[in-house]
Amino acid sequence: MRAKRENLFDRLEPLLADVEHPARYLDHEWGACEEQDGPFHLCMVYADVYEVGQPNLGVAILYDRINAQPDMSCERCYLPWKDLSAKMREAGVPLLSLEGAAPLASFDAIGFTLAHELIATNVLETLDLAGIAISSDERDEDDPIILAGGPSAWNCEPLAPVFDAVLLGDGEESIVEVCACIRDARSEGLSRADILRRLAGVPGTYVPSLYDVVVDETSTRWGYAVPRVGEEVPEVVLKRAIGDLSKTPAVAQKIVPYMGIVQDRLSLEVLRGCARGCRFCQAGMTYRPVRERPADQIVSCGVEALLASGHNEISLSSLSTTDHSQCEKMLSGFNEELAEKGIRVSIPSQRLDSFGVDMAAAVAGGRRGGLTFAPEAGTQRLRDVINKNVSEEDIERAARNAYEAGWRRMKLYFMMGLPTETDEDVIGIARLAERVLEIGREVVGKGRKSGVSVSISVAVLVPKAHTPFQWAPQLDPDEVKRRQQLLLHEVRDRAIRISYHDADVSLVEGALSKMGRGGFELIRAAWEKGCRFDAWTSEFRFDLWCEAARECGVDLVATACEEYPLSARLPWDHTSPGVSKGYLQREWLRAVEGVTTPDCTRSSCTGCGVCSTLGVHNVIWGVRG
Amino acid sequence: MTQPFSARPQDLPTKAELARLRVEYVKDSRLSYLGHLDLIATIERCVRRSRLPFSIGNGFARRMRLQFSGALPVGASSCCEYFDLRLTEPVDAKVALDALRAATPRALAPTSASYVPGTLPALEAWLNRATWCVDLSGAGISPASVIEGIESLRADGKLTYLRGDKEKTVSLEQCLVDYSVEAKPDGGVAVGLETRSGNGAFLRPGILLSAAVERIGLEAPSVMRTRRTFQLHEEDGRLVEPFGPFAESHQTPVS
Ligand code: SF4
Repeated sequence: MRAKRENLFDRLEPLLADVEHPARYLDHEWGACEEQDGPFHLCMVYADVYEVGQPNLGVAILYDRINAQPDMSCERCYLPWKDLSAKMREAGVPLLSLEGAAPLASFDAIGFTLAHELIATNVLETLDLAGIAISSDERDEDDPIILAGGPSAWNCEPLAPVFDAVLLGDGEESIVEVCACIRDARSEGLSRADILRRLAGVPGTYVPSLYDVVVDETSTRWGYAVPRVGEEVPEVVLKRAIGDLSKTPAVAQKIVPYMGIVQDRLSLEVLRGCARGCRFCQAGMTYRPVRERPADQIVSCGVEALLASGHNEISLSSLSTTDHSQCEKMLSGFNEELAEKGIRVSIPSQRLDSFGVDMAAAVAGGRRGGLTFAPEAGTQRLRDVINKNVSEEDIERAARNAYEAGWRRMKLYFMMGLPTETDEDVIGIARLAERVLEIGREVVGKGRKSGVSVSISVAVLVPKAHTPFQWAPQLDPDEVKRRQQLLLHEVRDRAIRISYHDADVSLVEGALSKMGRGGFELIRAAWEKGCRFDAWTSEFRFDLWCEAARECGVDLVATACEEYPLSARLPWDHTSPGVSKGYLQREWLRAVEGVTTPDCTRSSCTGCGVCSTLGVHNVIWGVRG
Repeated sequence: MTQPFSARPQDLPTKAELARLRVEYVKDSRLSYLGHLDLIATIERCVRRSRLPFSIGNGFARRMRLQFSGALPVGASSCCEYFDLRLTEPVDAKVALDALRAATPRALAPTSASYVPGTLPALEAWLNRATWCVDLSGAGISPASVIEGIESLRADGKLTYLRGDKEKTVSLEQCLVDYSVEAKPDGGVAVGLETRSGNGAFLRPGILLSAAVERIGLEAPSVMRTRRTFQLHEEDGRLVEPFGPFAESHQTPVS
C-alpha cells in the first residue's frame, strides 16, 4: 500500500545521536533541490552509503533532469549504514528520502542505479527497509513503480524479478518519458499491470514481468527471455542513446556535500563512450558510440560551475578522457582560467603512451603521486587477444617519459584469467614490471634513495554480458591461486609490490554476471542470511554466499567458470546496447587468433552495428591522435 | 580581487597586515551532527563561492586563512559560532556579509560580520566562555533530580568520564561557572549552563548532564538537545563580546 507522503525527520533524528557519520543523513546541502512539490515524485536510490553514492554522475544527471520538469520532483536516497538501519527497524522508522524525509514507499516511482553487480543485496535491503515488497509480483496496485538502470543493467536478469521496469542506455531522456508515462497512466486509473504494459512501449524500457524465461537446447541452463504470449513487447529491447552530448547541460553535479565523500570534487562528463574496443570491457561496448563534448563548452561551463560550487578541484571524467580530440585545448583552457585560483584539475585515467604522460603532467602541477597505467596483460600476444592496442615500445616510452617528468612510483594494473592465458603470460607480468623498474633506475638512478618503485595490481577477469568475452569462462579459483603463486615467485625485486583482488569477491561477481533470472533466488537467500554491502571488503561474507548457494542448489564455481557455446542464446540477449551479437562473435574469434581491431574514432567503422541500429554516430570535435 | 598566488613568498603580506573579518553564523539543529572537520570544509567552500578576496596561507597545502571558534560537541546546535577570515583587501563588511549569506546553506547562515584587530589571539582560545541551553527528558528526570545530580558532581570538584576508551577528567571548579534549571511545559527540563574553557579543558554539556542524572541512579536522558547561545572572552574578570569593543592594545601574542 502506498504510504502517506509526510516529513518524518523528527523520527529519524533521535536515532542519529550514536551512529557512525551522522552527516550521511542530513541533507539540505548546498545545491540540493529543496522544492519538492511534485505532484509527481521520483526518488533516485543509490544503494550504498551517502559518500559512495553521492559522487555518482548518473544519479546527478537524472536528478537534475527530473527537477527541471515543471510538474515533477526528484529526491535522493542512500542506504543507511548497518548501525542506523538496525535502529530504524527497532524504532519502526521506514527508509526516508533525503530532501523531504518522506517514506520511500510514498513515492510514485523509485529509480535504482545499478553501478555494479555487487550492489544486488543492497537493493533488496533498501526495499525491505522501505517496507516495499521485494519482488514485483508481490506489490500492491498503488505501490511505487520500481525502476532501475545504470552500467550493470546489462545483465539485470538475476534482479529482474525485483524491478517493474529497467531503463537501458542513456537515461536523461527516457527517465522523463517513463515518469510521464507512469503519471498519465495513474491519472487514467490504469491497473498496475497495464501501467507496466504501457511502460514497455517507451523506447529503451524493459519490463521483465512481460517476458518468460525459456530453457531449451538452444540456450544455456539459465535460458533466455521471450515476450510472454499475448504481450506486445519487443523481442529485443534496444538501449537509448543521445545523439549529441553538447546539447545536454555540461554540469550535472550541483550538490556540494557537507561531509567528505569518495570523490570530493566537481566532476564533469567530457565525453561518453569509448571505441578502443578492449574485449573485456563492458562499458566500452555498451556506451558506444563516442560522443565528445566540445572543449569550449567544457572549459566555460567547468569554470562557472567551480565558482558556483566552491570546489577546489575539478575532475574531467569519462571512460578515456585523454582520448578526447581536444584534450590539450581543454587542459590549457583550464590552466589559463584557474592557475591563479588554487584549483586543481584531475583526469581519472591516462592512456598508455607519451601523450598520456604529457597530459598527466599538465594536470599534476608540482605534484607527483603514483602514476597509474593499465597494460592489463603481461605479453604482447595476450594484449593482442584482449585488443589492448599498446605495444611494448609504447609502454617503455611512456614509463621513460614519466620518470623523466619526475614520477617515481608507477602503478600497473593487470588482469589474470584472460582467455588463452598461459604461464608465460603470467610470468610476462613480472618481466614487464621489472622492465619498467629498470627504466626508472636508468633514468633516476639506482639505490633506495632514488625512490623508484613499481606496484602491480592484479584482478581476475570477470567476463561480462555484451562483450566479446561473454562466452568465456572465469578462471577457476584454484587455478587463480596457482597463477598468483607463480607470479609472486617470479617477482624477485623488492621494489616491486604485488596486490591481488579478493578472488572470492570476483567469484560471486562472476556468478552474478553469468546467471539468468534463476539467480534471483541466490541473491535473495544471501540477503536473508545477512549479506549486505558486498562491495565493501570489510563486509563481504563469502561464507554466507556459499551457504546461500548450497541451499539454492547453485554451484558458484561451476556457474562463474562455465563456458557458453558461441551459438547459445544467452540470458541477456533480449536487451541490446546496439552492438550486434555477430560483431561480438567475430571479435571473440579474432581474439582467439590474436588479431586486433582498430578504434573506429581513429580509423574507419569496424562494423559494431551501434550507429546504424540506433541512428547515432561518433561525435568528434577535432582529430584524434 | 586577485589573490597573492604568483607573488614570491617574501612579497606576500604578513598575516597580521591582512584585513581580518569576523563572521558570526548559526549552526541549525539539523546540522548539529555535522562534525567540525566537515564544517570547516563546508565553510571554506562557502567562502570560495562568495568570491570574496580570501587569502591563502604560504604553507605547502595552501589553505585558506580561516580560523574557527571552538568545535561544538557533535549533536549540539548554536546561534553564535564564529570564524575569522583573512582578506587580501578589505571589502565593506555589509557587502561581505551579503556575499557570504548568498553563498551559504541556510542551516549555516551568517548573521553578522565586522572587522576586528589583526592582532587578536586565535578565536578558539580567545572565546573562553560560553552559555548553553540544554533540553532533556527521560524517566525520573525532573528539575530537582538534575540539581541534585549536578550538586553531587560539584562536590567532587571534577568530572571523570570515558571518551571512546580513554578516561578524561575535567575540573568543574574551573569549567562550570554557573547553571540554572527549570521545568518545561512538555514535562522535560531546561538547563542553562555557563562554562569556561582554557588550557585544553572543555566541559561538554551533554556529558555533564548525563553524568549528573546517572549519579543519582537514573538512566541517561532519552532526549537531549543542546544549543550554544553565547560565546564570550573573559579577561581579568571582564567579559568581552566577540565583536568587541576591544581594549586599546593587546599584550597577547599575535595569532
Ligand atoms: S558502428 Fe562503426 S563507427 Fe559506430 S561505434 Fe560501431 S564501429 Fe564505431
